[in-house]
Amino acid sequence: MGKYSYVGKGIPRIDAFEKVTGTALYTADMKLKGMLHAKLLKSPRPHAKIVKIDTSEAEKLPGVRAILTGEEAPYKLGIYISDKEPLARGKVRYVGEAVAAVAADTEEIAEQAVELIKVEYEDLPAVFDPREAMKKGAPRVHDNPADYRHSPFIFPEPNSNVANHFKLRKGDIERGFKEADVIVENEFNQSQVQNVQMETHSSIGQWLPDGQINIWTSAQSPFAVRHLMSVALGIPLHKINVVVPYVGGGFGGKAGIHWEPLVVLLSKKAGGRPVKLVMTREEQFNTTAVRQGLFARIKTGVKKNGKITAMEIEYIWDGGAYADYGVNIGRAAGYSCTGPYEVPNIKADSVTVYTNHPYATAYRGFGHVEFHWATERQMDLVARAIGMDPVEFRLKNAALPGKITATGEKLRDDAGRVDECIKAVAKEIGWGKKPPQPKSKKVRGIGLAALWKAPAMPSFTSSSALVRLNEDGSATLSITLTEMGQGTPTAFAQMVAEGLQIPIEKVKVVTERNTDFSPYSWQTVASRGLFMDGNAVINAVENAKDQIKATAAELLGVSKGDLVVTDEKVFVRGKPDKGMPLSAVATAGIRPDGSGIRGPVMGYGFYTAEGLTNLDPETGQGRPALMWTFGAQGAEIELDTETGDIRILKIVTALDVGKAINPQLVESQIIGGVVQGLGTAIMEEFVFNDKGALLNNNLTDYKIFRAQDIPEKFVPIIIENPQRNAPYGARGIGEHPTISVAAAVANAIYNATGVGIFDLPMSREKVWRAVQKGCKK
Amino acid sequence: MMVKFDYLKPKTEKELAVLLAKHADEAKLMAGGTDLLVLMRDKIFRPQYVIDIKGVEELRRLEYDEHHGLRIGAAVTLNEIIASKVVREKFTALWEAAGTLADVTIRDRATLAGNICNASPASDTAPALLVLDAEVEVKSERGERKIPIREFFKGVKKTALEREEFVKAIRVPNPPKGAKGGYLKWGRTKGEDLAVVGVAALVADSGKTLRIALSSVAPTPILVPEAQKAFEGRGSIDEKIEKAAAAVVGKICPISDVRCCKEYRLHMAGVLTGRILKQLMGAS
Amino acid sequence: MSRHKIFLKVNGQRYEVEVEANKTLLRLLRDDLEMTGTKCACERGDCGLCTVLLDGVPTKSCMVLAVEADGHEVTTVEGIFGEELNAVQRAFIKHSAVQCGFCTPAFIVAATALLKRNPKPTEEEVKEAIGGILCRCTGYRQIIDAILDASKSTK
Repeated sequence: MGKYSYVGKGIPRIDAFEKVTGTALYTADMKLKGMLHAKLLKSPRPHAKIVKIDTSEAEKLPGVRAILTGEEAPYKLGIYISDKEPLARGKVRYVGEAVAAVAADTEEIAEQAVELIKVEYEDLPAVFDPREAMKKGAPRVHDNPADYRHSPFIFPEPNSNVANHFKLRKGDIERGFKEADVIVENEFNQSQVQNVQMETHSSIGQWLPDGQINIWTSAQSPFAVRHLMSVALGIPLHKINVVVPYVGGGFGGKAGIHWEPLVVLLSKKAGGRPVKLVMTREEQFNTTAVRQGLFARIKTGVKKNGKITAMEIEYIWDGGAYADYGVNIGRAAGYSCTGPYEVPNIKADSVTVYTNHPYATAYRGFGHVEFHWATERQMDLVARAIGMDPVEFRLKNAALPGKITATGEKLRDDAGRVDECIKAVAKEIGWGKKPPQPKSKKVRGIGLAALWKAPAMPSFTSSSALVRLNEDGSATLSITLTEMGQGTPTAFAQMVAEGLQIPIEKVKVVTERNTDFSPYSWQTVASRGLFMDGNAVINAVENAKDQIKATAAELLGVSKGDLVVTDEKVFVRGKPDKGMPLSAVATAGIRPDGSGIRGPVMGYGFYTAEGLTNLDPETGQGRPALMWTFGAQGAEIELDTETGDIRILKIVTALDVGKAINPQLVESQIIGGVVQGLGTAIMEEFVFNDKGALLNNNLTDYKIFRAQDIPEKFVPIIIENPQRNAPYGARGIGEHPTISVAAAVANAIYNATGVGIFDLPMSREKVWRAVQKGCKK
Repeated sequence: MMVKFDYLKPKTEKELAVLLAKHADEAKLMAGGTDLLVLMRDKIFRPQYVIDIKGVEELRRLEYDEHHGLRIGAAVTLNEIIASKVVREKFTALWEAAGTLADVTIRDRATLAGNICNASPASDTAPALLVLDAEVEVKSERGERKIPIREFFKGVKKTALEREEFVKAIRVPNPPKGAKGGYLKWGRTKGEDLAVVGVAALVADSGKTLRIALSSVAPTPILVPEAQKAFEGRGSIDEKIEKAAAAVVGKICPISDVRCCKEYRLHMAGVLTGRILKQLMGAS
Repeated sequence: MSRHKIFLKVNGQRYEVEVEANKTLLRLLRDDLEMTGTKCACERGDCGLCTVLLDGVPTKSCMVLAVEADGHEVTTVEGIFGEELNAVQRAFIKHSAVQCGFCTPAFIVAATALLKRNPKPTEEEVKEAIGGILCRCTGYRQIIDAILDASKSTK
């Protein structure tokens, strides 16, 4: 252990100073020379042909520099299915869809111009319920999704509203049910919700006359933006530069490509002036993307001794008007469909369906928050059906190292311990004892739920990092992983400082992500960043050290193997006087006679996902998971049966993180993730009218947690069973704290009242109703 | 973005009255602006003129005297009302209601007059003013008049104000001796929210005076005199409170909207009525 | 639309600006004076990210017309940082009360004003003071802890 030890410590965030002083820069804060402002014209109809768009009046307005309609932008976009254009073309598919865009000298002029654009629509029948949309004869959102260019692992059904049908078949489902003593079947429902990042989508685009495209955007994945832009517009990658400053919250909603192509096209039409588009809060709710709704049906076969013999699962996703990430979310939920358990016989169908709702994109958890509501409620209900304790039931079926997952993967011996997580949570909420009951119409209960998730990503995903040694012995780290609040760059600074053995104050992580010079990393999603980019950073540090040693070895006349890099120096092991400060080798080695050798130290490291395979299109069998992070969550609640109010006394979260590089950041993610997950659990939902218009598209009527709403006590429990191929043993945890709080709360309600809840959110009204009905199962 | 308008800031009541008479239908008055600015941004209001009343000194006064009671000028903010000791002690229903509105920063701008002139069915202050039997002092170029609060609300977002009239002040007479008042609000969340239902109560003389008013259960905030009637007669206090709550539930006819369904509103109206009466009457 | 010449102080500096009647104080600060620390995230008074101090009082600047600020003093997050970070800012860093940082300026401004007005607030009082400001990342716990911790060092 060297003098500088940072890994495992709660080091303050390296970006905190900028953020507490308000000097951190976000896309909407940026002003460029000659910049224009864009505003959108949005569709009031859920499904209609665009008969005519008349922009003549708008064009006359002084200060208007460019107007675009869908006909002028026939570029197909889509991360998995290329089913979308920058503006609606031919028809509109959801209320709020962008139909035309204006770029003008000021926002006000742009908005006025939008009001002058006249659109004629011819209504088409619309469909809002994904189960209705799957029926024969349902209105077709896209004529034939199979016609679109799509990824080879996505299977849109021809001439239907099915954007993807993921199938998983393991074992023999009929035999599995025959072996069961008891069969339990339930249905669970939740509507679409929204990520509600504090910073709305913001993008600035510039298409210069020489064909160079520059983009500044609040996005999670600069290289994904660059790639998708290139594919859509037919521009070579090296002519596109994507710059991402600080991101004011992503939560998956900024993972792919959104408004970047539009602003760039507007810029082109405006002669190359930069064009900025910032979503209003209302547009953030129903014009930009949302999270899929889920209808889940689960049928579980179980033996009286508690062993699950079979699971038949149907996940029907309300994916909205375009496929975006929705199809892959359906797939990821499909291959994780059981939750953290070994089930020998499984038949799962996870279907992402087009509807005339706003289109769905990634959301923290990538489908796992939605389906764990179903699976973890089901686990409790099945346990009760056979008279077994729900904790014991979970442990009996737990996906432990060596067990086989739903896709036929044998869990590695260091995969992580869901049983330890479950036991830790159970202990903390006082499992086995009924909580003391208050007087009057209030009751208390405790509930528990487990969770798992692996990053959903291509089997060949890679990350890279660059560590430059500066002439004064400080180091600069370049990465592409964006900082959207999760704090991973701080963890990387810790790794660089500890790896190079220099004080952390001398490490800079470049703030801006820029595809022209930042080293490639796939996307900032999936809780993969710490694991994959962390490995890349470690490799980059090792590479830098190797270069340092090579120069020093030559200067000292020793072999590399004799040298150590520590205490801001490089020297012969055991002989600190026979060496030199790191600054001496940063740009070149200098011989006593003044001649130079070797060159600037720039450590390069990469990490590519190992051991993953494609999944069989019929059975879903294969190895999709780089690492599983296991966990469990518990809730202690007090329910006012008179009003339906849930007072959350305690939320416990245990995650097997492998290694907490920065325990304070881990706790921050846990607390923040729990509160976001609780939003889904008790207050968030989209309320549509019968014409598909979102009624609560503002923060007055779409409720998210405020300071007074939070649980009275948070108990984060960090469990560390390291994973060998992970950086310092650390697994990703960014999404996991959101995943099973809803089920834990509902299980606590059951524990308190005997009332089962099957639909989200558990609003005061819904809980009151459920308690009134007293539905027991 | 905000609609375009001319901003006017009169310095006296007379000037304000003249401007309002001149521009009437094309003008909107602004006090705190917390409702108006949102309505203008959402393009629901598109006034040619916005007349800011905060320049009129007389309208900023909050006064109390033992004879006339409370007089709250149109530009007095909710936080000023909340900071007043006499409001807290003698006009508790109003004090409690004011404190439930939005959040502390909004309450620093929002005014009582603005809240009642916005005339939302969900107004928090209106039920309190109803049980306190307040009166609205109104002025125009043509003269002055007083509108009892129970005649002030005419419909959803509609008041009894004529097009050229503005609110000068709200008068709240001293409640009956020994009276206790309060306001309970129920929302969708513990954090700030618009009322799913709000109940104001004033009780005196062991229930011989018993006034109940609710928000969010009708097109306007309403008094429910049936509650007083139900409280008369025999029975323990708890039994009589139950009857009063049932009378409220029996009288009102709330709707379902984006915030919740009518059944829940109805239920919570009864629950809150029972709770506030128990609170004020010191019952079990 | 009327235009108005206004005089105001922002972060101790005098400004003379001409504004259109419908310009909000938020837009004046961000667009005209280019002080982008204060954020715009809803423009309806719901989220609180536009919170500044108006004559020392936390105010949602999207709910104030610029012309109303004539003759008044505005403090933004840029004006909070003097020679060094104040107790609230230091506490936010210490408690990891910052994640994406978009809401941070609003909390810093509101908390700084709170502790000036009420140097030893209870947890309930802290929650009330910040109840109008939304955060999606932190879950508020560490923000509340930071403010309570900062109050320990205020007199």
